[in-house]
Amino acid sequence: MSPATPDHTIPTPGDHLRHGDRLARLERVWANGPGLVGQLTAVNHSTVSMRVIVTGFAFLLVGGLLSMFMRLQLAWPGLQVLDPQRYAQFVTMHGTTMMFLFAVPIMGGFAMYLVPKMIGARDLPFPRLSSFGYWCYLFGGLFLYSSFIFGSVPDTGWFMYTPLSDSTYSPGKGADFWLIGVTFAEIAAVVSAVEVIAAVLITRAPGMDLRRMPLFVWAMLVTAFMIAFGFPPLILASILLEIQRAFDFAFFEVARGGDPLLWQHLFWLFGHPEVYIIFLPAAGVVSMVVSTFARRPMVGYTWIVLALVATGFLSFGLWVHHMFAVGIPLLALAFFSAASMMVAIPTGIQIFAWLATLWAGKPWLRVPMLYIIGFFVVFVCGGLTGVMLAFVPFNWQVHDTHFVVAHLHYVLIGGLMFPLFAGLYYWLPLASGRMPSESLSRSGFWLVFIGFNLAFLPMHLTGMVGMPRRVDSYAMELGVHWLNLLSTAAGFVMAVGVVAILIDVALCFVLGRRGVENPWQAGTLEWAVPSPVPTYNFASVPQIESRYPLWDNPEVVAATRRTDGLLGEAHDDRRELLGTGIQSGRPEQVIRVSTSTWLPILAAFTIAILLAGFISSQYWLSILMLVPLIGLFLHWAWTTGDRHAPAELEVAPGLRLPTQAAARNAPGWWALVVTLLIDGSLFASLVFAYFYLWLNAPVWPAVGATVMAWRPALVALAPLVLPLLAAWLGPVALAAGRLRTAIAWQVVAVVGGAVYLGLHLPALWAAVGAPQVHAYASVVWTLAGFHAVHILVAMLIGGFTAMRIRCGYVDGVRRLESRIAAAFWRYTVGIGVVTWAVLHLFPRWA
Amino acid sequence: MSRLRGMTLTRMCAPYALWALHFLAIYSLQGLACARQLGRERVAGLEIMTWTMWGLTAVILAAIAWQAWRAGQIRRALLASDDAGRADHARRLFMVVLCLLGAAISALGVVFTASPLAMLQTCA
Repeated sequence: MSPATPDHTIPTPGDHLRHGDRLARLERVWANGPGLVGQLTAVNHSTVSMRVIVTGFAFLLVGGLLSMFMRLQLAWPGLQVLDPQRYAQFVTMHGTTMMFLFAVPIMGGFAMYLVPKMIGARDLPFPRLSSFGYWCYLFGGLFLYSSFIFGSVPDTGWFMYTPLSDSTYSPGKGADFWLIGVTFAEIAAVVSAVEVIAAVLITRAPGMDLRRMPLFVWAMLVTAFMIAFGFPPLILASILLEIQRAFDFAFFEVARGGDPLLWQHLFWLFGHPEVYIIFLPAAGVVSMVVSTFARRPMVGYTWIVLALVATGFLSFGLWVHHMFAVGIPLLALAFFSAASMMVAIPTGIQIFAWLATLWAGKPWLRVPMLYIIGFFVVFVCGGLTGVMLAFVPFNWQVHDTHFVVAHLHYVLIGGLMFPLFAGLYYWLPLASGRMPSESLSRSGFWLVFIGFNLAFLPMHLTGMVGMPRRVDSYAMELGVHWLNLLSTAAGFVMAVGVVAILIDVALCFVLGRRGVENPWQAGTLEWAVPSPVPTYNFASVPQIESRYPLWDNPEVVAATRRTDGLLGEAHDDRRELLGTGIQSGRPEQVIRVSTSTWLPILAAFTIAILLAGFISSQYWLSILMLVPLIGLFLHWAWTTGDRHAPAELEVAPGLRLPTQAAARNAPGWWALVVTLLIDGSLFASLVFAYFYLWLNAPVWPAVGATVMAWRPALVALAPLVLPLLAAWLGPVALAAGRLRTAIAWQVVAVVGGAVYLGLHLPALWAAVGAPQVHAYASVVWTLAGFHAVHILVAMLIGGFTAMRIRCGYVDGVRRLESRIAAAFWRYTVGIGVVTWAVLHLFPRWA
Repeated sequence: MSRLRGMTLTRMCAPYALWALHFLAIYSLQGLACARQLGRERVAGLEIMTWTMWGLTAVILAAIAWQAWRAGQIRRALLASDDAGRADHARRLFMVVLCLLGAAISALGVVFTASPLAMLQTCA
């Protein structure tokens, strides 16, 4: 449409004559490329999230298929559907798939699709990172499943307990496929945490202050923080075990001073919060669906936020309740038993708030609500058996029986799948513009609900009479064969239900009846976008004044479709988001984000080759792949800025805002903060591992190792003062416009880091010796290596920042990258001092 | 006015962080007592470690109470200010309420977690 052509479809009081032109420009700027290339390079949140969701459901089907074989094997005593080893492989892959390749990513996919729309944003603040996360997830999952092709399927359970998973008892490559594949796929979860935290904190629509955020967004914010603190222990555990398997370190080997329980602590430090990492987003979905179908605002909004935040904290105090039978002193068990029961309080608060909303409203029983009712029934049962399991004596009685299998499925299927399907049907008209088949979707619900309960309710009984879990058969004398046959038959009914639902959803996109916009008459912002959803979501960034803007001010829908509001004009043909204040939601900055690019898929593919080289012991290939990988990431970082970008832009008549390179709350800054939280959690887990091993070791340092003498230790520490000075004085020089001095400080920091490494590592080698000798040497070298990697990364960032200053990307006004470099150096020096104290002071005292 | 500005996300989450600190500390102290025989001597009928954990519980509860008291002060200042009805005002009140409720649930959590100390020996 030419600029002169007036658009009469949406009359506006403002600059409506250019509306069509502006829309066309937005379409062009935000469009994915054409064809397969366009699909592979797309970074837009709607496109990427749909891929995540589809991939998640594909893994659900595969994981479900494995469980059907397991149920067939258990249908009657003595069957030979799967031999014991194959059964163990299927148990492992089923659990791993459902937890790591379905439950966590699919909720991440939902968040990626919904959060920007709910908060009135056009995209997530790091689109390339989202796309990179997706490819890591896909390649990680394929990596794991390629173990079937190579005949090395992991078979030690989805929890990979040591010593069963070490090289003595699992000599093949199965455990390596698990450790590497899962860690690769977990990059997606960590990336989604960075995305969601930054998006929610700084890209909410103007007016959407903290008390107006949709509850799903609150849930995702808490979940993202939980991922940031919860995933690193597992990542660390996986790295430690893989190092032990590949290079013969000794973290978990008793004969060399290690402890297999260290694995369980690290695993369940992740594993229990993981349950809530899955449940909280689902609870967010329930809050959205309940208020829409009760046709009233949520009762006790503040209480639900309280419950979400409280659950986020309390869930980290439960990990030992998975270890009640490993021989930990009773008092410690009692602490965890008490905390396990305590977490029922915030969960109960949420359930009562949902019931109160339904009670106070006029509930409308459509398919999404049907799933919510299923959720209430199933999840409350799962929660109650959870409280039973929190009692230590009862836990001992049913430990490792099918009672636990029943409980965890009631919690996970009740707490995840029913809300997930509720959300799927709830937002399907938004994503597809069509309505699903009412009869097929109701049939799917009843098949899943009845099938699930008939499959898992009997397992409470079979477990209580002593049927062990993870075992491929049971004795006829146990008297549970009929119950197992019922479970198997019902399991297939449930499977048919799940397939029916997925067929229904797929058909909806092609054959569904054309729906009206906002068919459920919901009140939140995601329903303001047009159908079909444009890639830019909103033509103008909306301004809101309540929690349910579509109920309280229906005008907001039209306002978001006009182009005379905030950011209605695409400056310089760049994709732009509006940045707002963390608490207040006031406009603060313009965030320019990336367009379609090959970088994410190339980076993920390079990592896949690197890991393939590692698992096949072709270490030369892994080292070789570091070159293109670092090159890709440097190119990625280099293309983040624009030296020709103006320092500020006009986002609406009379409102000028800085671009992110010059803004205080820039997304890059928050990405760094969240990344350092994640990294700090990783570091804290490693320090915990050190002290845990010390606690159980008779001698520390180990026989044959010594502590470095005072003089070399202090001399090695001294050069770290240089980066610290540079991190302080470099930004000062930059702010004063002294660019050459700022560059010089970056160089000083790099030199300081290099000198530290050159002095510290050789002296450490002389004192401690080879890491394979004892768990002491293993953990000391891992700590020192962890810090050394940080020094190298900081040196890279320092050199990069110096180049950016030299090339005019960074200056006295656009200081973001200098701030990031300084903060990273401060953090690196900080963990360096802690590492130094742990390595050189603690052994003298202990 | 500075008192009104004192309500941050960090302050809002402080009571939960104190609960976490208490949990981590008593679990670690208990581990040290059992594995390294730290503080196992008896004083006035209880092991020194048990006294330490009770003391820590009291300190943490006091810290949570202080957070709640500060939040209460901010709440009183907000209610007394002339800005009622403004978005900023309502937002701060929301965060204060969250902080107060969080303090209540965290205090409950600390008491609940510490209660086994009254029933079990350090290394039972």
